[in-house]
Amino acid sequence: MAKTTRVKNKRLKAAAGSGKSRATGAPKWVGQPIRRVEEDRLVRGKGIFVDDQKLTGMLHIRFVRSSYGHAKITRVDVTKAAALPGVVCTLTGAEVKGLVKPFIEIGPDVGQKIADYPMAVDKVVYQGEPVAAVVAENRMAAEDAAELVEVEYEPLPPVMTAEDALKEGSLVHPGMGTNRNWHGVFEYGDMEKAFKQADHVVHIDRLHFHRFSSTPLECNAMIAVWDSRSERIEYWSNNSFPSFAAQFLSPALGVRIDQILMKSFDIGGGFGIKITNYPYMALCALASRKAGDRPVKWTETRTEHMQASAHGNERTFLDTRVALDKNGVITAIDSRHVDDCGAYPRYEPLGCVIWAQVLPGSYRVRNIRIDMNQVVTNKCPVGPNRGYSRMQQLWFLERVLDICGHSLGIPTDEMRLRNYIRKNEMPYETPNGCVYDSGDYAGMLAMGKTLVGWDDWKRKQAAAREEGRWIGLGIGSTLDSGTNNFGQARIINAGAPFSGQSKAAIAKLDIYGEVVISMGSVPQGQGHETTAAQVVADVLGVSPGHVKVKPGFDTEQNAYTGHTGTYASQFAVTGLSAIHGAATKLRKEMSRLAAWALKAKEKDLEFGVGAQGPEVRDKRSKKSINYWALANIVNVNNAGMPEKLWDVTLNCRHVYHAPFQLPDVKKKFGNLTLTYAAQIHVAVVEVDRDTFQPKILAYACVDDCGRAINPRIVEGQVHGCTAHGIGAALMEDCAYDGDGNLLASTFSDYTPITAMNMPDLLYGHMESPSPFTFNGAKGMGEGGAAPVHTICAALQDALYSKGVIINDSHNTGDSIFLAVQRAGTGGFASSVRIEHRRAAGRSAR
Amino acid sequence: MSQVPNARVEAVYFSSAGGETAVSSCLSAPIAIECARTTTNDFCRSPTADTRHPKRQAENIVYAHPFSYHRAGSLLEASELLQQLGEEARLIAGGQSLIPLMKMRMVRPSALVDINFIPGLSEIRCSDGQLRFGALARHADIEESDAASSIPIVQDCAAGIADVQVRNQGTIGGSLAEADPSGDWGAVLLTLETSVRCSRPSGERTIALDDFFKDAYTTVLGHDELISEIIVKQPAKNSAGAYLAFKRSAPVYATASAAVQLTLGDSDTCKDVRIVLGCVGLTAIRAKEAEKTLREKKLEKKRIDSAVEAVRAAAEPQDDMRGSADYKRVLIAALVKRAIGIAARRARGEQVEAGHEYVGR
Repeated sequence: MAKTTRVKNKRLKAAAGSGKSRATGAPKWVGQPIRRVEEDRLVRGKGIFVDDQKLTGMLHIRFVRSSYGHAKITRVDVTKAAALPGVVCTLTGAEVKGLVKPFIEIGPDVGQKIADYPMAVDKVVYQGEPVAAVVAENRMAAEDAAELVEVEYEPLPPVMTAEDALKEGSLVHPGMGTNRNWHGVFEYGDMEKAFKQADHVVHIDRLHFHRFSSTPLECNAMIAVWDSRSERIEYWSNNSFPSFAAQFLSPALGVRIDQILMKSFDIGGGFGIKITNYPYMALCALASRKAGDRPVKWTETRTEHMQASAHGNERTFLDTRVALDKNGVITAIDSRHVDDCGAYPRYEPLGCVIWAQVLPGSYRVRNIRIDMNQVVTNKCPVGPNRGYSRMQQLWFLERVLDICGHSLGIPTDEMRLRNYIRKNEMPYETPNGCVYDSGDYAGMLAMGKTLVGWDDWKRKQAAAREEGRWIGLGIGSTLDSGTNNFGQARIINAGAPFSGQSKAAIAKLDIYGEVVISMGSVPQGQGHETTAAQVVADVLGVSPGHVKVKPGFDTEQNAYTGHTGTYASQFAVTGLSAIHGAATKLRKEMSRLAAWALKAKEKDLEFGVGAQGPEVRDKRSKKSINYWALANIVNVNNAGMPEKLWDVTLNCRHVYHAPFQLPDVKKKFGNLTLTYAAQIHVAVVEVDRDTFQPKILAYACVDDCGRAINPRIVEGQVHGCTAHGIGAALMEDCAYDGDGNLLASTFSDYTPITAMNMPDLLYGHMESPSPFTFNGAKGMGEGGAAPVHTICAALQDALYSKGVIINDSHNTGDSIFLAVQRAGTGGFASSVRIEHRRAAGRSAR
Repeated sequence: MSQVPNARVEAVYFSSAGGETAVSSCLSAPIAIECARTTTNDFCRSPTADTRHPKRQAENIVYAHPFSYHRAGSLLEASELLQQLGEEARLIAGGQSLIPLMKMRMVRPSALVDINFIPGLSEIRCSDGQLRFGALARHADIEESDAASSIPIVQDCAAGIADVQVRNQGTIGGSLAEADPSGDWGAVLLTLETSVRCSRPSGERTIALDDFFKDAYTTVLGHDELISEIIVKQPAKNSAGAYLAFKRSAPVYATASAAVQLTLGDSDTCKDVRIVLGCVGLTAIRAKEAEKTLREKKLEKKRIDSAVEAVRAAAEPQDDMRGSADYKRVLIAALVKRAIGIAARRARGEQVEAGHEYVGR
């Protein structure tokens, strides 16, 4: 059924071709597993984090937060707090309302009717929402004063599930008139025909992807100074998408965007959720101004972080119908999805389209209809949590595949092989116009099975079943789509004024000949300083140690575009392309300059390292000039420099533009992402018959992110996302009770994964270079929550014969116990239904 | 009555006999770690301290309610300080529960009496068939002590309490005095002949551990009374135990824990047994019915199964983030069953691993 679509996108190919380095030969440093240069300072406690910064006259802000999930605010009284010695000023929601405009809403129609102020004004809509703030000389006084703020509430009925939200009984934002802030239907192919011709139709009533977060080691932190003399707001923050935050802050605070200065340095993890800490940035700026231009620092506590920073998106999949042919090949999927974005959309409803980057997952299915909905609820607002929006879709597809496979008696590995997009179909255009650049999913699966010892485990599983043990083998196939096209926002809101993707970098030869790179990216452990130096070293024929890379965002350095930040698995593509471009421009300038200085021809010059360090040599005369001398000519010794070289500044800025076009908004069709890294994990899990605890017996991860710039960093990222995913699958759950209380507001309750919970990982790596990037690399690091899919698959395999359907992404000993109980009374009987339309028989083998 | 510069901060326990409100699992390891690293100078703020001093501002990194800090030089001095300072004063030993609670302002003592500098309170020694732990013996010291290695159940417990930082700071005396329903030591020591030596201005007394716990977070200790020593009678040669605690992750309290000490007689007869259930009631629960089904009986599967049924009935768990009450009954039964098996094998002289277990592996 699956039809192969060859890609004829000239623009994509042209872009990759023109990016190829002419200046250099075979890479010497790119591809090497060198140690990260950042490591030394980070492991020695010499990193520079926001909380390490102490400015003269700096004040501390503490927020008074709602203990209710949904309540009317009837009174806020800061009198006693303001009177406490050491307190400089206070802020209340009513006051904040008078000082700022509500933040921009990305969503259209009803979404535009949400008034998102950084502080609750008339009512609170999630537990932990700030209702007042106190600013004091030190944190102790601020803490004491915050306790003296009196707030009275009148509780309102909270909206705690997606299904409840759709009932519209209680409204989170009455101005919207509904709880559904986005709706759209994504339909491709011929659904009717596919279901008519199906041999089997599988119905799945409800699947649920739970709410979890990333719990970075460093919580949100920022310092704001609203300086009335220079008329600018300076931020030192750990926001991970500063140019985006500035675009939200500028209209809200009523200042020009050039008045907002963003700065960052080391960041202790982010995983996406620090993108949406800008409401706090607004409050800190207001506090600074009210305190007479003094710096105001906010360092979030862990409980604040759990309750009121950002969680990952929760999604419910309803009334799914799957059409299959007699061989178990999926021909159509029809489903209704309800995403829960919590109390305020903020980065949302972008998640309502971002999943469509991986609409069919790794599979060839061409007929798909997804009725996509997003609702607001009385829970913490969501933020783009690692694997953002795609992992929910991938998990859904993996569940569909496993449930169908088990229902039809087709082994889950075979089920995948029959449905995977083939290596020879790459680049592959999906039904909605996305282009998978390269990949060999079947090859990755084979590697994963070999690593884990699949056949051997199959035998052990059969023997263990005889003994009554529950062992399951599971596969999780993921795509880590990277370098997003912001044009997809137009599918959400046709009027959204953004599209494409770009990054800027500056490469300069400083006065004494230092090679300095500024890039404006906001690394949180991804090793940007190292990989950038590897790329530049290859361009200039030096070693990475000769290249100084400045990490972090700095508005004044101007190495940014409106897309600059670290998100959406893209630095290896966009960041390094910008750096490569800037370094190539610098090399060209140095080459012109050296040709004049050495009285040589540019084509005879070679770049390398000589006795006096990095230099440019004339192959004919054997004469050379080092970097100091080159920089000296331009910067401080330029009398006599010929006019034709006056444009040489040795300070080269380059902007990389990803080769995107606008999507077709009506058809919801277009290339939404540039690269598709893949991870295929294989796990063996045993459920203890007595404790019902799942135990991982073996675990393999196979990664393909195209050409790896630094394989050591790639492997580290794979370990990190695997830990995150196992944590989400088995331990971490932002669970709320029916009254709107977060039940996991400390680490004692949330139990983020630790090394003690990790299995030994078997790691495999493949390289399918991307044809769309200059270096063949693909962005990676989000990992698509592969372990969540894999562990669910293994549990499904272990328990299918008991009648259990794994319908939630979070599984604990407790929930497995309840599921086995439920299965014992036929509780899952109606949740999955199979119609055999033709005489194809049950087994299709 | 002085501020102590650069003193190592240790943790705390409740010695209050007054009903301490049950605080749900709130030991947050990362917070505890941060506290443990903090010097007293940073967090012990005297009400009269000059908070405008710039250096002090920079160092204010823990956010407890104001309290005064007092270092006791002897048990008697500690008791007297507690008397003087009143009901709102607390003892601090290892601090691994109290400091996180103070930091979150869930408890706000007016004063801390630090007993970490009282000499001779950390010893672990064997004498006259007794194993004696000073109240300040750290979990890690116990884990590493030769004396403790002679009683496997003690080793099982000490080696896996929370994480390394907590084990290095937390004390056995503090753990018993805190009487957290999820504490490890209470359940383990109740399977042995344990008594608690306590000191107060009016003199000393020794209390059998069976009579020590009154309720969640509540012991029979008076406000000015503190534990000085924990005395455990060496079990007989043919006696062995096992402690199994199931935890979601290393730093948090167990979901359920089972402590079993078993004395074997001839031909696999259970001469004596003690079964104690942790985390499934307001205090550790002695499963006496379950013990009865095994005592003086041959250890057969059928008997063990009925003992496990009795365990299920004896447990009084509550729903929380660690698990539903129904599930905790299943879990405690499974843990007891395995602990009986391990204890029996150990009593026969086999070397068997046991201790704390974690989700996922």
